[in-house]
Amino acid sequence: MSRDVHSEVAGSIFELLVAPGDEVAKGDTLLLVESMKMEIPIEAPVSGVVAAVHVIVGDAVAEDQRVVSIDPPRQG
Amino acid sequence: MNWQAEIDEYARRQELAREMGGAEKVARHHANGKLTVRERLDALADAGSFDEIGSAAGFPEYDANGQLVGLTPANVVCGRARLDGREVFITGDDFTVRGGANDGGLREKFAFAETQAVRWGLPLVRLVDGTGGGGSVRHLETLGRTYLPEVPIFAEALSALAEVPVVALGLGSVAGMGAARVCASHYSVMVRGTSQLFAAGPPVVARAGEQVDKETLGGAEIHAKNGTIDDAVDSEAEAFERARRFLSYLPSSTRELPPRIDCDDPAERREESLVGAIPRDARRVYKMRPILDAVFDTGSVFEMGRAWGRSVITALARLDGWPVAVLASDPYHYGGAWTVDASRKAIRLVDLAENFRLPVVHLVDIPGFLIGTAAERNGIMRYGTQALAAVRSSTVPWCGVIVRKAFGMAALSQRGGSTAFQRFAWPSAQWGSLPIAGGVYAAYRAEIDAAPDPAARQAEIEARLEAVQSPIRTAEAFGIEEIIDPRDTRRHLCRFATLAAPLRAGGRGFGYRP
Repeated sequence: MSRDVHSEVAGSIFELLVAPGDEVAKGDTLLLVESMKMEIPIEAPVSGVVAAVHVIVGDAVAEDQRVVSIDPPRQG
Repeated sequence: MNWQAEIDEYARRQELAREMGGAEKVARHHANGKLTVRERLDALADAGSFDEIGSAAGFPEYDANGQLVGLTPANVVCGRARLDGREVFITGDDFTVRGGANDGGLREKFAFAETQAVRWGLPLVRLVDGTGGGGSVRHLETLGRTYLPEVPIFAEALSALAEVPVVALGLGSVAGMGAARVCASHYSVMVRGTSQLFAAGPPVVARAGEQVDKETLGGAEIHAKNGTIDDAVDSEAEAFERARRFLSYLPSSTRELPPRIDCDDPAERREESLVGAIPRDARRVYKMRPILDAVFDTGSVFEMGRAWGRSVITALARLDGWPVAVLASDPYHYGGAWTVDASRKAIRLVDLAENFRLPVVHLVDIPGFLIGTAAERNGIMRYGTQALAAVRSSTVPWCGVIVRKAFGMAALSQRGGSTAFQRFAWPSAQWGSLPIAGGVYAAYRAEIDAAPDPAARQAEIEARLEAVQSPIRTAEAFGIEEIIDPRDTRRHLCRFATLAAPLRAGGRGFGYRP
């Protein structure tokens, strides 16, 4: 069951730090959103494997918009 | 010869009342993941401190010989108790009796429960779990008529907010007056999954054309995110813990000042991590909450409203044992810019501080009010100006610590309305009416457009202005009272709290809008 990650602020996608298939730990920075001239990190709420990245650099993003989905960690 | 027989008669009724709505209703209540009102009282109050009032009140059944055969208790359980040693009044709805509907109680007992606390200058804790004031339309048949809605004690419950702390825990599905009783408070909590709150529930909403279940209509997350309540928690036990903690920073009533507690965290404690807490790169964010944990008394920061208005952190905390109210910027949200919800949340915190006489500490990193079409559609300048009015009409001592940005109208919140304010800046501070980057082209447009290389000319002007921007220049002109080593912040704040303590008395006496 994928866990969706949402941007907590409106802004634009500044930098993507993960791609589908990457293993991530809870708290890892997944991407940076630019908002009010700041680079705001969006962190992984859970550990797992990146299932999908729903945005590309430069995209405008709204508050609460889904940006990444994370699958449960690989077994074994 | 004595009166033991009468004592035993009364005890019989108390025993019957303790069964609440009966074993079956209680079992169903438990199956729904909820504690009964009596279990809640036991969990919340200090052991052995609860003196129930109205323990025999309800609807008795007598047989032909005048013998008591049953007693349905009134669906409000109330009385005096102690929370962490302090006297309070608690009122709890009994959902197992007529769904906690307020017309299933005795009006007299309900009115008593809602008004005792303020009359005695005691904090009130409301355990709300009832279907509201109106109950069922069946009641109209019994009555033989209908009535204009009026709840005489509700006005008294609202005006009590200006005098005593009121905590409301939404512990079930509450609508109408039940919902209003949750909102008519200084601090409100709901439990995820088992609490919902709405003006009217799904059956009524369906008749207006919308099919929706109660969680989707008014679940805890929804209301924590829109500011209807302060916090959503995962269990009733957590709700009780938060109620106790909230009250611990406040006096019992506005007849007293907030109590100081013993503190073994040294006021002189230097915090090494603070010297590097703010990134040198202006585009980088940092976490404000660890900074708060470092400067306030260890473990004393009690954040409220974390899920909404997120660019401002609001909390209660202590400095050398003195309770204070805290505003702080969270750069993760819009760089700390004040949004509509942040403004509304700030108003709530400042009004709480003003009402109960808590000095305010504000750690400032504010680039201004949020700009852009979304902010304008939400009415940022209207709500932002209201927030400034709340801040600048406050009369409690205020300490502003500018840790990074202080730009624009929103940064007026660096101080409150009292002339007893202190301001400190960290060396990382930067301030002005407008950030340099935003203002250069507008101010130097003619010169830039006329230059052979406009981009280079703009960069040159920006570099000149950067030099002027150092907060030290402002300090030389006494435009800021003192720039401090961030490691000394706690010492300065503790001293502020000590100096502020004798100045807390007073207040506008304007009443409190929840």
